[in-house]
Amino acid sequence: MTYIMSLFLFGLVLGLVAVASNPSPYFAALGLVVVAGLGCGILVGHGGHFLSLILFLIYLGGMLVVFAYSAALAAEPYPESWGSRPVMVYILAYVVGVVMVSGQFWGGWYETSWVPVDELGELSVLRGDSGGVALMYAGGGGMLVISAWVLLLTLFVVLELTRGLSRGALRAV
Amino acid sequence: MTPTHFAFSAAFILGLAGLAFHRTHLLSALLCLEGMMLSLFIALSLWTLQLDSTNLSASPMLLLAFSACEASTGLALLVATTRTHGTDRLQSLNLLQC
Repeated sequence: MTYIMSLFLFGLVLGLVAVASNPSPYFAALGLVVVAGLGCGILVGHGGHFLSLILFLIYLGGMLVVFAYSAALAAEPYPESWGSRPVMVYILAYVVGVVMVSGQFWGGWYETSWVPVDELGELSVLRGDSGGVALMYAGGGGMLVISAWVLLLTLFVVLELTRGLSRGALRAV
Repeated sequence: MTPTHFAFSAAFILGLAGLAFHRTHLLSALLCLEGMMLSLFIALSLWTLQLDSTNLSASPMLLLAFSACEASTGLALLVATTRTHGTDRLQSLNLLQC
């Protein structure tokens, strides 16, 4: 389990390197999908199965699908993948930077430095995070109302930004 | 600093560096912002899970709601930019008329 978690953490950092090294947006969206999947694995390893499910369904299923769809707006005839030279230079720079900074810390890294929630490493139906999320509906009603209001406001912001016909927020559209 | 803390801190810094240096497409900048929000989600979740303070496990979900707002506004700006300029390259955004 420790090796799997280490593999997920390596994949998280390398996936962000793949996103940040300025490839074409198709490949950057692909890298972000991989990073989100590995983040789900990390949360499951720490015992947060409900938060992992939220990340997988809402983030990966809802938001990144829209991003992958929007990559069609950034189409270019000669896309740059990670193998082309300027992207490769950025990848090397970021990887060398991460390795140099991690060299400051890896003296204190031991084999079992991860602990699941509730110190329970077994299969269980009700873990701590699902109970904590249920508390949002009991005591966190104010933040729930604020979040719903913000999402509704964002809906109208998006509609005004993309309306056009000289009546929206952007006259030139 | 455990390896997990180092991993999401490095992910956040990498997303910030990718946003700051050498952007050609607006969509690439938005994807780097999404990577930063993802590392913040993982950071808040691990704070809850490692400290056993499960009352705080609603905070990553609220963060996810706000990041959905940010992502949808950014994509609306991307669509508007594509409709006015025909492309989403950041070099063409300082044209006054096209």
